[in-house]
Amino acid sequence: MIRFFLVLILLIFLSLIFQLYIPPMIFLKGAAILFVPALLFYGSLTFPLPFVLVLVFLTGLWYDLLTIPLGSGRPDYVIGTSIVIYLIPAMIIHGFRPLFIKKGWGVHLFLAELAAILTPFCLLAQYAIISFERSDFFFSDVIVWRILGPGLIAMVTTPFVFLFLSSLSHLVGFRPQAEVTKLS
Amino acid sequence: MRGPSIATFAVFVVLVVVLILLPGGCKQQIQANFLQFVSPILKTGSSVQQGLGGVSGGLKKLDELEKENRQLRQENEQLRTTNNLLKTLETEVNRLNKALGFREQSPFRLIPARVIARDNASWWNTCTIDRGSEDGLAVDMAVVTEAGLVGKVATVAKNVSSVVLVSDESLRVSVSIEGTNEQGIISGTRASSNFVPDLRIRFLTKTAEIKPGMRVTTSGTGGVFPSGVIVGTIKQFTVKELEGVAIVQPAVDLSKVQDVFVISGIK
Repeated sequence: MIRFFLVLILLIFLSLIFQLYIPPMIFLKGAAILFVPALLFYGSLTFPLPFVLVLVFLTGLWYDLLTIPLGSGRPDYVIGTSIVIYLIPAMIIHGFRPLFIKKGWGVHLFLAELAAILTPFCLLAQYAIISFERSDFFFSDVIVWRILGPGLIAMVTTPFVFLFLSSLSHLVGFRPQAEVTKLS
Repeated sequence: MRGPSIATFAVFVVLVVVLILLPGGCKQQIQANFLQFVSPILKTGSSVQQGLGGVSGGLKKLDELEKENRQLRQENEQLRTTNNLLKTLETEVNRLNKALGFREQSPFRLIPARVIARDNASWWNTCTIDRGSEDGLAVDMAVVTEAGLVGKVATVAKNVSSVVLVSDESLRVSVSIEGTNEQGIISGTRASSNFVPDLRIRFLTKTAEIKPGMRVTTSGTGGVFPSGVIVGTIKQFTVKELEGVAIVQPAVDLSKVQDVFVISGIK
């Protein structure tokens, strides 16, 4: 389990950097392709709570350190906020862990789609915080696409990410089902 | 929740609270250290991206690719290779000549830098450059090209720095409009559907005679940006209830900018 956990941490870290080099989708009004939520949510489904919290903490912290411009003035988004934002969908997904462990590929696919649907939540929460701080809340078609677009893209990509991670976990000798049996 | 889970959750909450409540300077130091840690990966990523070529230009539509493919097939293989090589060299020489000329003629002391990463996936418009405190960079220094203003330095690590772009809504710059006595505050937009988002000048006089094509330059008020740096050209001027608002096309194509200069002082 530890080996796959470390591999997943490394993948999240590399994906955060890789995302900097992926151009936004022009035909989806600049919506971004996000892999990090899919990786985090897979971790939320497979690992026990303490491990999930570590994943959430590192993902949120690294995301903030890489993206938020601090400068000399007062920032409108505090470093560490994304940890709280990622915690909510990660906990929702973690609630489905018993289902993920017991059921077959059909449920896995359903959970991958659920994870994809929860991806825009993070963007919406960030947008809400920025808008609140800047005292200017407005919606336009571009903003809607920037929030929902990554979710739509994730609906296509997340099942493949889950499939890849499932194969990878088997490769490093981690099977969530076996871990649960061992613990009980 | 079992014992270990409750304990981990408690530690998690404490860590998050401590992190959020840390003073700004401390967070900036953590960010600088993190940027320094990832800088080799960012520099490698930038090299790979340049090697692949054109990836940053955005994903092309299928019909564009088909059209391009048809055209490419018509060309002779050898001629195409030679042409491409020559074109690349010519562009590179022109680009470097322009940069060199700008550096020599500029009244400012300029530190050359290269953009190694751009953030396309978040609500902030930032990029990372390959120069840091070792090269003399400091927070709030203005970043420019020969075409105009790019942004300002936000966080400085040893060899890399993050730059907040002029297209970001949170960066506000005091500007004046050439040919008028008008001064206002320019800022970017929160989200834009294209790679070159328009900027917006607020707090202009309602009766100002502002016409499309007029140049917008930094006014120097505030002390962060020196005066006289071109920011863009007026696209449109509208009168609102309390103020005049001008839409400005940025002078620099922020989606493609590669070579930049950081202003470290006046010569």
